[in-house]
Amino acid sequence: MTDEVFLRVNNIETYYGSLQVLWEVSLEVKRGEIVAIAGANGAGKSTLMNTICGVLHPARGSIEFENKNITHLNAYDIVSLGISQIPEGRRLFPEMTVLQNLMIGSYDRNARANKEKNLARVYELFPILKERKNQIAKTLSGGQQQMVAIGRGLMSNPKLMIIDEMSLGLSPLIVSDLFRVLQEIRERGIAILLVEQNVWQTLHEADRAYVIETGRIVLAGNALDLLEEEEVRNAYFGT
Amino acid sequence: MDFITELASPIIIGLLLGGLYVVIALGLSLVFGVMKVINVSHGALVILGSYAAFFILTQLGIDPILGLVILIPIFFILGILIEKYLLNRAVKMSADAALIIAFGIALIIQNAIQIIWTPYSRSLLTEYSMNRIQIGEIYIPVVYILDFVAALVVMLVIRQFLLRTYLGQAITAASQDRKTAELMGINPTRVYQIAFGLSMALAVIAGVFFGITFPFDPTSGNALLIIAFGVIILGGLGSMVGTFIGGMIFGLSQTLGGHFFGPTGQLLVPFIMVLVVLTIRPQGLFGR
Repeated sequence: MTDEVFLRVNNIETYYGSLQVLWEVSLEVKRGEIVAIAGANGAGKSTLMNTICGVLHPARGSIEFENKNITHLNAYDIVSLGISQIPEGRRLFPEMTVLQNLMIGSYDRNARANKEKNLARVYELFPILKERKNQIAKTLSGGQQQMVAIGRGLMSNPKLMIIDEMSLGLSPLIVSDLFRVLQEIRERGIAILLVEQNVWQTLHEADRAYVIETGRIVLAGNALDLLEEEEVRNAYFGT
Repeated sequence: MDFITELASPIIIGLLLGGLYVVIALGLSLVFGVMKVINVSHGALVILGSYAAFFILTQLGIDPILGLVILIPIFFILGILIEKYLLNRAVKMSADAALIIAFGIALIIQNAIQIIWTPYSRSLLTEYSMNRIQIGEIYIPVVYILDFVAALVVMLVIRQFLLRTYLGQAITAASQDRKTAELMGINPTRVYQIAFGLSMALAVIAGVFFGITFPFDPTSGNALLIIAFGVIILGGLGSMVGTFIGGMIFGLSQTLGGHFFGPTGQLLVPFIMVLVVLTIRPQGLFGR
């Protein structure tokens, strides 16, 4: 694992119409890291993710990936650079099958060449998806849908996966399983930027973390250090 | 037994005619499914196809069905241009804007056709226009069989395209969740252009087969648009099987309605069926 920073977010400020939602937000992700962004509901986590992925554009500040300025790129152009977003709420294509959902993940031209190999890897990580490959996505359970969502993200051959609220609506057991898979994905050299309300478990799984509150980064550092931080314990764990 | 033989003719004709209605409805269904726009110019575009075929038949002597080899690419490209320069801006503004622009396109086409070819009705007359085949005591016009075969071929081709190509799957994905489709690297503008191009290719195919079956005039598009709506309401959106069944029901309602209740029945019964389905199952028989 090298120490190379490849995603740099510099002082971005994003608005919804005339309402400012993010203030001077900066963060970094290095290759092969798991970085968490923790914060309460409405703190601005999803806005931040959407801004990085090109769904929203910041009014000020910049975003660089592998030294390329991606601040104003459209979402559909960012995929080919190696960033894959697993959106909040899974957002599978409801009427398409598991296999179809996975395969559309390899739509990007660069990813098509590796589609068979990537599909085999996804089935290795989630064997149940191979069993259910012809099942219609909307009939899957929440946990299975999250597996498909992650698998679909892997199909685009990403260098960085951005996962928005993976644990939402899922039981702790399933969430633990999913975190194990994330560690395996990290072993393969893919960096992960994780956005979570579930602060406790996330800080145990990530390398570094940022805490966001009402649109600002208020704390940053190693995940385990943050677990010990007075502010974090007070705010999230009531201890 | 006589009762059955008596019904056999309207049933068979109704089913074959239903095939024609499926082709007419498919283009409308595609645009609504992908772009969420009700393309009220679809009927006019189909009739434009009939007149384009009329042109190449009378001026160049080319059979309308063979002429599709030239007409399909032309209409496909025309569709991409209409989406790119007219509809795209309207869709971005609002659903109402798109409706109005489509309506404007229909008016322009209808009046242009009227100026060029006069209001009098035309027909695509070929050597086989008058041919019928005989099964027992039933006579079936050959063109009705061609209509049905065309419907099967078109449905098969579209289905293969949507299921087996990346572009087809991209269109399917974008119609189910546009924002997430973008996250897959799918450019929605490009998807809309291709979808509308395909819709116009379907329109010209529908126009050719309509034109060899029935006489048409510049205003025929209006009735076709209403039939297309009826088929889609019956069958539901998002399912080709649904559109097919919708077409069959519509065609059967027409012929059986006409058989039992005369010309009024022919007009009325299909729309009574539409009302019934709207009441008991508004999303259509196969809709989601």
